[in-house]
Amino acid sequence: MAISPGYFLKEAGVSFRRNWVMSLGAIITIFFSLLLVGTFVITGILIQEILASVEEKVMIQVFLKDGYAPEDLDPLQTSLVEDARINSVEYVSKEQALERFKEQTADSPEIVDQLPNNPLPASLEVELVDPEDVEAVVVDIKAHPNFVNLIANPEDPEKDLKYGAEIIDKLFQLTNVVRVVVIVLVAMLVFVSMIFISNTIRLAIYARRKEIAIMRLVGASNWFIRMPFLLEGVMQGLIGAALAIGVVVVMRQWLVPWLSDTLPFLPVTLSAGATAQLGLILAAFGVAIGLIGSIFALRRYLRV
Amino acid sequence: MIVMEHVTKSYAKDKPPALKDVNVDIEAGEFVFCVGHSGSGKSTLIKLLTREILPTDGTIVVAGQDLSQMKNWKVPYLRRNIGCVFQDFKLLPNKTTYENVAFALEVIGRSRHVIRTQVPEVLRLVGLEDKGPSYPDELSGGEQQRVSIARAFVNRPPLLLADEPTGNLDPNTSLGIMSLLSRINKTGTTVLMATHDREMVDSMRRRVIALENGKVIRDQDRGVYGYGD
Repeated sequence: MAISPGYFLKEAGVSFRRNWVMSLGAIITIFFSLLLVGTFVITGILIQEILASVEEKVMIQVFLKDGYAPEDLDPLQTSLVEDARINSVEYVSKEQALERFKEQTADSPEIVDQLPNNPLPASLEVELVDPEDVEAVVVDIKAHPNFVNLIANPEDPEKDLKYGAEIIDKLFQLTNVVRVVVIVLVAMLVFVSMIFISNTIRLAIYARRKEIAIMRLVGASNWFIRMPFLLEGVMQGLIGAALAIGVVVVMRQWLVPWLSDTLPFLPVTLSAGATAQLGLILAAFGVAIGLIGSIFALRRYLRV
Repeated sequence: MIVMEHVTKSYAKDKPPALKDVNVDIEAGEFVFCVGHSGSGKSTLIKLLTREILPTDGTIVVAGQDLSQMKNWKVPYLRRNIGCVFQDFKLLPNKTTYENVAFALEVIGRSRHVIRTQVPEVLRLVGLEDKGPSYPDELSGGEQQRVSIARAFVNRPPLLLADEPTGNLDPNTSLGIMSLLSRINKTGTTVLMATHDREMVDSMRRRVIALENGKVIRDQDRGVYGYGD
């Protein structure tokens, strides 16, 4: 069949203008829901990066008392090395610790010079494969029989065992809460936008019911009858998505630089690639919402 | 062209069926009247033939296709072989005569070239060659019915169904419509016309199928309206 796509576009456009208030409502709800999706994804990306940078810093440090017995240390070190959850175990001697300290304070060497002797303890630095295992590994280290003999404060082991537990925990909790809240909000908004779209399509069907009756009468194919309405829904979805993408791009231009200025210690960046990906996701979402909304209307109000 | 065998149609279980055990065989090229009082089942018969509704029982074959076996998506292609004319014309008020007829070709995907040659031709056939730019509300009832016949016939379907096409028209105008349908029939198109226009049927002397309470009570070549009331 030689049907020009121009026909469908024209029909969809006409009906779009006829019911522009409803169409606007549909577009705005799609816009908001997609904007939320976009913000959610961006926040997700940013938090992921922040987490990654924090996780790099997650390392369990076991500080050893001066004059510990090496025969106590060896079994602990071996058991740690053999642990599958552990990436690496590094022994840092008192001298190495002092070297590092010197490097860190290279700007003001007098601090080190004033030290009478080396006050820094030797330590084991344990790096994990997955930062989420940190609590379990800490418990295991504490339970090791040689642990109490190695540390300076056996009555309060927390002092000699350092890891970034609190930060990690809070970040995980926060992201989980944000995730749930946003998913619920987005689901609600998507639902509302589908209802909006299906309503505008229903109006469009109603406005053209005579034409539809005649189209059926003379044998227009079902898809020919449905196509302008599907297209109208998709158009609304796409316009909503375009608006949302625009706002996301603007946010990337202004909000991200502002964030990285305000929070210099956190790596806040959003690559162009990630933005393009996000744009595609939003466009796909918009089309899907428009399509499903209009299919819903067609099934209910257009029996062809 | 049309074969109906033991066709029964009931709309609701607790009501008597609209059509009951109807057997009709119409050959290609025939001109057939279907007569009967209101509620006798004429419209149901027409709707069954265009597969707007399905029979409760029995088989209907139109143009070689069994309607009850037909897939839904094929129905449009069936309807391209059936022209339909109604009492209320069913024209689009915001389209001109030309556009109303062209619409029927547009929506089945005919090319512009086909539209440009066939629409003027069919308008000439129905005698409205100079009414192309007029809107339906600028036309008389008879002219509007001619437009709707032009639309039904522009695709040259082998079967034309007319449901009370003269029901809204005065006798003189009706006569014009009838001679138009006759002419269309002479081109080889099968015409089935539901009506209760007694004088028309009696003067035409064509085959008459009479319905009463959903049953065929008479099927007569060169018949009259009957019902001696």
